[in-house]
Amino acid sequence: MKRSPFLRLGIGAALISLVATAGCTRKSDNEAATASTGKGPDQVKVALIPGGAHPYFQPWKTAAADVKTEFKLGDATFNETSGWDQTKQNDVVKSLAAQGYNAFGIFGVAPENINSTFEDLKRQGFPVASLASCPAGDVNKADFCLSTDVEEAAYKATKAAIETIGGKGNLAHLTGNKVDSNTQRRIAGVEKAVGETGGQVKIIQVVTDIDTDLQTAQKAVADLLAAKGSEITAIVNTAYNPAVASAEGVKQAKLPIKVIAIDDDKTILDGIKDGSVAGTVLQNPVGQATVGSYGLMKLAGGCTMADAGVIVDSGSFVVTKANVDSYETDRKAKTAELRQAFDSQYLTCR
Amino acid sequence: MPLWANPRVGLVVLLVLLVALFSTIRPAFLDTRLTLTPLQSDISVYLVIGLAQMSVLSLGHMNMAVGRMAATSAFAMGLVHHTLGAGLLVSLFTGLVVGAGLGALAGLIISRTGVNSFVVTLAMDFALVGLITILYTGVVDGVAFPTMPAGMEALRFDTFADYCAGEICGPRIPLVAPFALAAALLTGLLFRWSRVGREILMTGSSPRAAELSGIPTRGRVVQAHALSGLLAALAGFLLAANNGAFSAGIGDGFLLPSFLAPVLGGTLLAGGAVSVLGTVLGATLTQVIYKGLNLLQFQLDRLQLYIGLVLLAALSLDRARHVLAGRREAAP
Repeated sequence: MKRSPFLRLGIGAALISLVATAGCTRKSDNEAATASTGKGPDQVKVALIPGGAHPYFQPWKTAAADVKTEFKLGDATFNETSGWDQTKQNDVVKSLAAQGYNAFGIFGVAPENINSTFEDLKRQGFPVASLASCPAGDVNKADFCLSTDVEEAAYKATKAAIETIGGKGNLAHLTGNKVDSNTQRRIAGVEKAVGETGGQVKIIQVVTDIDTDLQTAQKAVADLLAAKGSEITAIVNTAYNPAVASAEGVKQAKLPIKVIAIDDDKTILDGIKDGSVAGTVLQNPVGQATVGSYGLMKLAGGCTMADAGVIVDSGSFVVTKANVDSYETDRKAKTAELRQAFDSQYLTCR
Repeated sequence: MPLWANPRVGLVVLLVLLVALFSTIRPAFLDTRLTLTPLQSDISVYLVIGLAQMSVLSLGHMNMAVGRMAATSAFAMGLVHHTLGAGLLVSLFTGLVVGAGLGALAGLIISRTGVNSFVVTLAMDFALVGLITILYTGVVDGVAFPTMPAGMEALRFDTFADYCAGEICGPRIPLVAPFALAAALLTGLLFRWSRVGREILMTGSSPRAAELSGIPTRGRVVQAHALSGLLAALAGFLLAANNGAFSAGIGDGFLLPSFLAPVLGGTLLAGGAVSVLGTVLGATLTQVIYKGLNLLQFQLDRLQLYIGLVLLAALSLDRARHVLAGRREAAP
């Protein structure tokens, strides 16, 4: 302990030298702001950054490699190390910027304050897209938001569920993080569809916070089926892990419950083929990554948004046994359509 | 103890080596605007949360609720601004009072009931998790306050380089850094020079001996926990400034780093000895490792593996040095 005054001196000296080397100019902000425009595709380095590891984002990884060759980008990377922590995600974003990535497609961990991250990047002159989720509230500070309209997707899923049970019965709704504004919109979408039945269909249970991992979801589904299995006629899932868990759980329990799932995990697709899953609502992760990267590349090349902060629905598709083999065609068509819409409608290029 | 056996020296050497390594592999590590300035903001937050844990480690206690104390205080700061339109200083002050109050409450329960601090603060953490969700949904119907007091933007984006006296501007040090430095200096002064601080350390070293020498040990326990709560609140404030909102998620990632910084720096888990300088170095080291590995673009599993390995190596080196120093002293 005696020597620590010397160490303090050392730290002080280190700080002073840092001060001396860091310098003080205000120019760098302007430099960065002007540097963003007029880049050729080979100068654009796109970073796709989900909120953390989740099966939904796995298609982004291949999409990043594909857009790099298709659009002849300088580079395109996929970084899932944010660990569902906004602070870590901000750090990941800054680290990528320091390595020369200059266009960002981000799924924000916290929709409530992701706008400040977007603002931060915009201040430095980088084009930013909010992918797969839009900021909470009415303002989107990213150049554009390309995401599933989650309320619409939940509405479609519930409509499909109501149809399969003949317009009458009890629903359970399984979803993700309750304090996430997207979850609130999903709940609203389910309620809207149920409201339209005029009391014929009731929601008897909404289970939230079970999308963290498959084990949590499996346990919640087992509990739900044990407690209310005989009353429930259909389960609507608006999150990935509960969807997989309820497809398995209902099949194992041999209950006559209709399951509407989300996304296209193999378990779910097999369930649709063998009839244990009534249907699923697909989102468009590949479209989000490719069209998002396309938009970012155009923005870096000098285009501007016709309507800054515009929110674009990347599409959702109801898949049942009837179209289980052909849905990929619809999804590709939607992606192509989105890309055209960016050229003709959302972007203004000189 | 010889100089080389001082754990702080080991940390400085490790730090210098890592900085040299990272900046050789990735010159972007020395980019002031994108790496060094954000790094200092991060260190500021984790230094203060490390100090919060250190304050109770001085007693041989733990504060498992540091994260939630930070979140509750951040809620209080947001609330006084949101409902009463309070400015930056009033909000900050309210938050600090709430944090200190929560800490004092934990300390009071521990000292009155004699229940282990781990259990008390863990229970408090659980209770506060629920409370925070209820409070946020009740007040703002979401998980974050939509506005922040004037001046928080400046704390978030500005560095001293944005403030010039004539031609001379400050260095590129973020405005949040002085908060953390002040906290470190004051905590250091408290434990080194003040009577209260020394008595807290004595209580940590041997509660019975302290009691018998006339130290009001119960009071000291409450004070140390109150200090921990206060510092947790400050860390919550700094994180809110860095992230751009008072939100329910503040403090989620505080628990492990809060132990890492002081323990790496040589603070004993058993109590009775603290090192503020060590905590500064510990916080800096962990953030430098994190930043460096991030820049090297490791994928998720590898990133965690290497962070674990580097920290394990740091702790083992520390232990080896300690044992060697002990042998040397024992030798005739």
